Amino acid sequence: MFTRASLLALGILAVTSPAFGQTLRVALNQDLRSSEPGVNRDGNTDVVMTNVVEGLVSYDKGGAVGPLLAQSYEVSADGKTYTFKLRKGVKFHNGNPLTSAAVVWNFDRYMNPKTNWYCLNDFNGTNGTKVVSYSAPDPDTFVLQIEKPDALFLDSMARTDCGGLAIMDKASLKADGSWDKPIGTGPFTFGEWKQGQSVQFDAYKGYVSAPGKERDGFIGKKDPLVDHVIFMAIPDGATVKAGLESGEIDMAIVPESDVKELRANKDLAVEVGTTPVRNSFILQTRDPVLKDVRIRQALAISLDYKQIVEAVTDGLGRVNNSPVFDTSGYFGDVEKKGFEYNPEKARQLLKEAGYKGQQITVHANKRSTVPSFPMTVIAQQMWQAVGLNVNIEVLDWPTQLSKYGVGGYMMQSTSYSPRFDVASGFEQISGDKDKQPRKVWDNPEALALIDKAMETLDPKVRQPIFDKLHAMILNDVPIILTHNRVSCMAHSAKVQGVEPTSFSYGVWGITKKD
Amino acid sequence: MLRFILARIVMALPTLLIVIASVFLLIRMVPGDPAALMLGDNADPASIAMLHAKLGLDQSLPKQFAIWFGNLLTGDLGSSIATGQDVLSLVWARFTVSAQVVVAAVLLACLVAVPAGVIAAWRQNGKLDISAVSIATLLMSVPTFWLGLLLLLFLGLKLRWLPVVGYVSIAEDPWRGTLYLIMPILTLFLHEMGVILRMARASTLEVMRLDYITHARAKGLTESAVLWRHAFKNSFGPTWTLIGLVLGNLLGGIAVVETVFTIPGVGRLLVDSIFGRDYPVIQGCMLMVALVYVVVNLIVDLCYPLFDPRVTIE
Repeated sequence: MFTRASLLALGILAVTSPAFGQTLRVALNQDLRSSEPGVNRDGNTDVVMTNVVEGLVSYDKGGAVGPLLAQSYEVSADGKTYTFKLRKGVKFHNGNPLTSAAVVWNFDRYMNPKTNWYCLNDFNGTNGTKVVSYSAPDPDTFVLQIEKPDALFLDSMARTDCGGLAIMDKASLKADGSWDKPIGTGPFTFGEWKQGQSVQFDAYKGYVSAPGKERDGFIGKKDPLVDHVIFMAIPDGATVKAGLESGEIDMAIVPESDVKELRANKDLAVEVGTTPVRNSFILQTRDPVLKDVRIRQALAISLDYKQIVEAVTDGLGRVNNSPVFDTSGYFGDVEKKGFEYNPEKARQLLKEAGYKGQQITVHANKRSTVPSFPMTVIAQQMWQAVGLNVNIEVLDWPTQLSKYGVGGYMMQSTSYSPRFDVASGFEQISGDKDKQPRKVWDNPEALALIDKAMETLDPKVRQPIFDKLHAMILNDVPIILTHNRVSCMAHSAKVQGVEPTSFSYGVWGITKKD
Repeated sequence: MLRFILARIVMALPTLLIVIASVFLLIRMVPGDPAALMLGDNADPASIAMLHAKLGLDQSLPKQFAIWFGNLLTGDLGSSIATGQDVLSLVWARFTVSAQVVVAAVLLACLVAVPAGVIAAWRQNGKLDISAVSIATLLMSVPTFWLGLLLLLFLGLKLRWLPVVGYVSIAEDPWRGTLYLIMPILTLFLHEMGVILRMARASTLEVMRLDYITHARAKGLTESAVLWRHAFKNSFGPTWTLIGLVLGNLLGGIAVVETVFTIPGVGRLLVDSIFGRDYPVIQGCMLMVALVYVVVNLIVDLCYPLFDPRVTIE
């Protein structure tokens, strides 16, 4: 028996020991969608690939745009010409220098419809801004012109779902022009990808970091401090927890309900923070029942948000009824003021609206990464307490999303992907329902204000606009926002430098003690 | 024999055709759009329409089926909507991983459960029988995900004998690969052992009551000879059929076990592709599942004459 156990233990040592140097093992709930940034993507892939590729600009930890591969940038007085000066000394992972010609090659590739770039419509004029030309007047300068001024153009360039407009070497493509693998400028090189299992990144010894003394979102100091990183696809939460406790996983996002237990383990630590992801109930304002604003208001004020958020986040979340995420610089006293919990007033509003117990159906899903189902179950009890007849219909996520896309619902419990720019966050939920049925807030005055907020980046101009939009949306109630997603990143006590935010999977600046 | 095999293959073709046509139609009748899933909550109608056109989803269903079926006849199962990978190589790669776990688990289960079932029947109502039946019932009653988690916590986390997460191919590293496969194999082995044991016991009990067993004993044969030469050979048929069904069923997908132990098998691929509405991969997986059933059942039928002289293949 002893011999067998010893042999097995030796085997485990062989399994868990890194091949060479320090290896950080990070759990992902699913594998990368592809290695091609901004083309075949999902939320995990977007952030994981920021370890390998970089764009001219990106986000700091507050969500503001700053230079990354650019040393600096200037916008002309008419707001149509952007001039980027490239950082000197930056080389691609294959040793080729970063030049403006490489930037032009990348823009040619992204703007070519055959590439199927996810954000092409946001840059070719279909959905707004149109890039009319770009050039490389000298090896260190890239100049780009857009058709009309757009204060959010740099934000669009930084968007993670657009791949951050990653600048890669031509060798990322095979000889026949098809995709091979990313050869970027990031702190890690793209190593072996065992699809369905794991992907390994290796420290890029020639990495030249952006200026800064410490990490700052996707910019700032980004040096790789471990030799290898292995992102492992582990879909089951219980397995992730076991992996953390056994020491086979160094970092993993865990549900709020596991935080207390994991914190009690002296070998582990958990960093908790909020992200710009917004959890919400959306209401179909064209529905025969919900078109009456009084019923929508009654739905909003009959909820005890403190209780809901405490329950679904295990006491780690904060109530936020505003589309402005709670770590944004624009989240001020006005935004802190949310819906008033007043069941008596809700009953009064329902009576005034002539509500006669018509059934209201809420679509919810049971994905483990969102609080859709538990949040809806708790809310249902509160709604029923004021006399609202609310029914929950549980759908799988693809079905719910398809109904969302065509506006085919009364209510849905859903979570909105992050938008770091607040105006973009408002735009994400607002628009003309005749043209875009997925939009939830179709208010011409609000749309005009959002357009105005998109014309400038001046906080003095934008803050009053966001304050007004916040007050308007609380009154219109096309959406009931509850809280921003809580990100709980559990990690080994040996691992230092972990960020509990949307940037968690950016693993530069993280160290691991032997 | 060859004629029999060919006849069975020809007979299986309509079954396969019905399966693939049903899967093709049913998965498209389920709400959920792969293009909307790929584009996320920011998808506008124009972008979705463009992606539909690119993926060929803007064509009529009969046309989509005709294209897919035409390609199938040339051995092309298409590419994954999600990852762009070739479906045939993807499904085959994942199937071989699942097959390693399933074949090993079922083989082990047979080696333990069949003799145990026969002996339990031989000692009906004795301590041995009651113990065997109780254990078998318990093992059958515990869901595989729970059994898997218990093994994971005990062997992986508490005793630290086996790795908890990850997977290494046996072809890449036989020793490490084996370590990663022990717990999933053990989970399936324990679960299926209960089913096979009960069937082996029940069919042996029936045979043990027959006159020729009494006759064999009256002739003075040893209990061992009665049991293994006469009772076992004649009672193994139903168990063998069950083993074939279990094997076919498990090879069709052990998604739960694969999820708990992070094994990149065909079951997980099928579940992921259903949630991602990845039509070509779903179709490829289901075609593989149907084929496996046909092949396994054919092998089961061909093996009958080996232990039951009453069965002949003509």
